[in-house]
Amino acid sequence: MSSAEGPALNIDRLLDSRWFLRALAFAAFALVWQVYATAAGGFFVPTFTETAAAIGRQLASPEVWQAFATSNIAMVLGFGLAVVIGIPLGFLMGRFRLAERAINPYLNILLVTPLAGIIPLLMMSLGIGLASRVIVVWSFAIVMVVVNTRAGVRQVDRSLIDMVRLFGAGELGVWRRVILPGSLPAVLAGVRVALGRAVTGMVIVELVMVSVGIGGLILRYQAFFRFAELYGMVVLIILEALILLAIVDWVQRKATPWASMTSIRD
Amino acid sequence: MIEIKGLNKYFPGRGRSEPVQALRDVDLTIRDNEFLTILGPSGCGKTTLLRNIAGLVPWDTGEILVDSQPVRGPSPERAMVFQNFALLPWSTVLANVAIGLEIRGEPRGPREAKARELIERVGLSGFEDRLPGELSGGMQQRVGLARALAVDPSVLLMDEPFGALDEQTRRLLQEELLRIWEQTPKTVVFITHSMEEAVLLGDRIVLMSARPGQVDDIIEVPLARPRSQHINELGESPEFASITTHLWTRLRSMQVLNT
Repeated sequence: MSSAEGPALNIDRLLDSRWFLRALAFAAFALVWQVYATAAGGFFVPTFTETAAAIGRQLASPEVWQAFATSNIAMVLGFGLAVVIGIPLGFLMGRFRLAERAINPYLNILLVTPLAGIIPLLMMSLGIGLASRVIVVWSFAIVMVVVNTRAGVRQVDRSLIDMVRLFGAGELGVWRRVILPGSLPAVLAGVRVALGRAVTGMVIVELVMVSVGIGGLILRYQAFFRFAELYGMVVLIILEALILLAIVDWVQRKATPWASMTSIRD
Repeated sequence: MIEIKGLNKYFPGRGRSEPVQALRDVDLTIRDNEFLTILGPSGCGKTTLLRNIAGLVPWDTGEILVDSQPVRGPSPERAMVFQNFALLPWSTVLANVAIGLEIRGEPRGPREAKARELIERVGLSGFEDRLPGELSGGMQQRVGLARALAVDPSVLLMDEPFGALDEQTRRLLQEELLRIWEQTPKTVVFITHSMEEAVLLGDRIVLMSARPGQVDDIIEVPLARPRSQHINELGESPEFASITTHLWTRLRSMQVLNT
């Protein structure tokens, strides 16, 4: 049918596909890595192919899956608590000045404290169990949830609140009809950023203090000079984070379709 | 009838500075089913006055009576049309128009029937299931108008409703509003910063001056009703010209004082 179109492989179409461009960029990246590691990398830098092979072995290794499970328990709990506590806190701070005044100093402390530095303190007071790791992940994540939720509440269009009040809605109605849906895009944006921070917290606590899970495995690979596996582990962490982000993005698109809508002006 | 007597309103100053007087001794009586336009430079407190009448914000001294009842808060008898449309971006046109009835507790059936009727009156049939973000500004304000009319208020408060629209859309909506008002009269308080709009729409024009906001003059508009059919010709009549000239002289002296 399409005999008039000439060659089966249409170059223009191919260049339009973003997956083709991504594959091209990735291939270039892999090539540079391979050449550099072979020519100048030496003992400490595995080649791309060595790393890829290591990742293959790791994906088949129960030890690696076990490490991911151990780490992710702390991540899920800490991140979950950050969301469950952070969203209501952000709502209160965004809507009520008293709550803002009372809580803001603590939020600022969490915001400016170099969290990696207080991990040893936490370990000393809470031990090296799951609780410490959960708290570290929580402290990494909650700030982003609170700050974004608060901003979301504040940027809700005042006239929407006036509008429902004029029709007779009370404070509860204002929340249900305007503030909650109106701030949802910002809340989800906060959850998205918090997720990245939670993954960071999860790995850092295991590297700095409690050598279990993913961080523990990374330290072990390092100690035994298994650099291909070490690189592989980093790639696997990135992959996990990307998958989690894709899930949040999907929820965002499904839950707030109006947020990405551009208004037509006449 | 809306009676505003000796209304004064202050806003707290920033930091330690003195409170700012937004409205000074405003006396105004708005007749039933009158179309009243309020015109004035920015900062003259016209929006504050409208929000006071709506019952959205309190004032300091004086009183506002609607049908001899003092205003103490919002009432479904007074509906508002907003300059920025104030539509819920996550709700369809139908749900936006029906929201007043929904808050009032009207069951779904009658509420949606009423909403559809008003959507048709403002010329938006076929758009019931669209989201506001899919509509042009003019269409969005039609939704805002339908929403206000859906609760069948006796007073319609309009805060520069067509200020964000372009010239042609604005003219179309002025005609539409007059047509609806001629069919089902109600008291309209219409704020605008356009002299032309104030004259073409209003029975009377309240001219306000700024800092503090007060009533400067009240002008009867001698243009005949109904006007919706020939709003364009009216804009070229000698009466129109003489009123706008008068308004401009007054506004000009205020602007000069302010700059």
